[in-house]
Amino acid sequence: MLSRLVDLLRQAFHLLPRGVGGAPIVPEKSVAGRTLLLLVTIMAFLSAATLGGVVLVQKSAIAWSADVGRELTIQIRPVEGEVMESNLRTAVSLAEATPGVANARALSVEESQDLLRPWLGQGLDLSAIAIPRLVVVQLADPVDADIPALQRNLGAIKGASLDTHAAWRQQLNTMAGTVVLSGLLVLGLIGVATVLAIIFATRGAMASNREIVDVLHFIGASNRFIAGAFQGRFLSIGLQGGLLGAVLAVLFFVVIGMAAGSVLPSEANAQVGVLFGHFLIGWEGIVVILAVVPVMAVLTAVTSRVTVRRYLSEAS
Amino acid sequence: MIEFSDVGLRYGNGPEILKDVSFSIEPGSFHFLTGPSGAGKTSLLRLLLLSLRPSRGRVTMFDQDVSHLDQDSLLQLRRHIGIVFQEFRLLDHLTTFENVALPLRVLGQAESEYRPNVIELLEWVGLGERMHALPSLLSGGEKQRAAIARAVIARPKVLLADEPTGNVDPELSDRLVHLFAELNRTLGTTIILATHELPLLERFAYPRMALNKGELTIHA
Repeated sequence: MLSRLVDLLRQAFHLLPRGVGGAPIVPEKSVAGRTLLLLVTIMAFLSAATLGGVVLVQKSAIAWSADVGRELTIQIRPVEGEVMESNLRTAVSLAEATPGVANARALSVEESQDLLRPWLGQGLDLSAIAIPRLVVVQLADPVDADIPALQRNLGAIKGASLDTHAAWRQQLNTMAGTVVLSGLLVLGLIGVATVLAIIFATRGAMASNREIVDVLHFIGASNRFIAGAFQGRFLSIGLQGGLLGAVLAVLFFVVIGMAAGSVLPSEANAQVGVLFGHFLIGWEGIVVILAVVPVMAVLTAVTSRVTVRRYLSEAS
Repeated sequence: MIEFSDVGLRYGNGPEILKDVSFSIEPGSFHFLTGPSGAGKTSLLRLLLLSLRPSRGRVTMFDQDVSHLDQDSLLQLRRHIGIVFQEFRLLDHLTTFENVALPLRVLGQAESEYRPNVIELLEWVGLGERMHALPSLLSGGEKQRAAIARAVIARPKVLLADEPTGNVDPELSDRLVHLFAELNRTLGTTIILATHELPLLERFAYPRMALNKGELTIHA
């Protein structure tokens, strides 16, 4: 299938303008050319996968942060002499009376026990234990909500405290920022490695095409003409490699998404889904990945042009 | 057209390959360059092709002292010189037509512009029916005729040939030298043909520049 894709790409690139003359002066099929194509494909795949990963993390972090930011939790600890149900009703009333709150709902005992089950295990009878109860408050508008007023009013209920999840959000944002920064750093390193690898591959290609360079020199070709002939070839390799790498990266995310859905147990899948949004990079992710194609083509063309010019000046 | 005065050439700190070489070549002339292997024929041809600069002495080509020219000017001068090699040096992935057309592509001509001229020249050298063949499918003689056609397609003023008959049989050697002679006569191209084949020199009465251990003597 991959070889068919390469053939299709090759046929498509044959349609690119070849400049004055027709047949390419630098042969299209050579060991050095195939090596460079493989190299650019791998580098493009790594860049695209890194970019896709960064997009995935950032998208999930933004979505998660927005979700968490729209929600507050009132926790009411059991206090001797206090009636829990009454305190819950008061807390719900206070919350609903606060400006910017859309609704408030007290979690039932069963729901509270369900929340504890992952930590305490299945089959444990929690009915004899007085556990803290939660009121989930949904905000209509996180910016306009008068959270300090709610915090003050809750002071009237013994054992009540308000969790705005600010610490979680801050940690999440820090983690997402670190991942994004690390991704960009990795991308920069891949870029440097790509440039170095292209330089070596170009010098290899020039050495294996030394006869062509010599003949072109003997028939009066300028270094500019020779560099142009090689640049056209390298631009084509960069485009093919970039496109192949990007397509493979998109396929990678599709396969990972499908594998996560089918291999992981449903609970783990749900947790992974909460964290990474089921590995769906979305259209913006695909656009970012496809942006690797022109970047890789230009990087290959410019690097190889500079290398070819330097090689030719050294040779002459 | 070409003038060498007391030219010496050495590679790095090695011994002098060419010593006090002096000669002049008139436009439209035909010269053999002879001498045993290692006499310095190829080095002298490389000086004539402007791919080397002399270590000492003065080289004047087309009324310009080449020792003071920059790369661009040398390139412009080189476009007046064609070269034919013993080992043909055709590009294996290009057809005969594309190989012969290469110097015109280098000059920036479009295919529609040069196509009739290339076809006409290929027919003139007897390769009209082989124009779409790759070099690997050509015989030695056909390859050399294609190489000669490539060397003259851009109408150079000077044609250099480095042992062009070295890889072909004696009968074909004669035919190739006749082809050079025809080019010299009909187009007025100045020709310097390097060879160490004595029978060839005896059959064609052109002036000889004989190199021996880097020293040049002229035999009219």
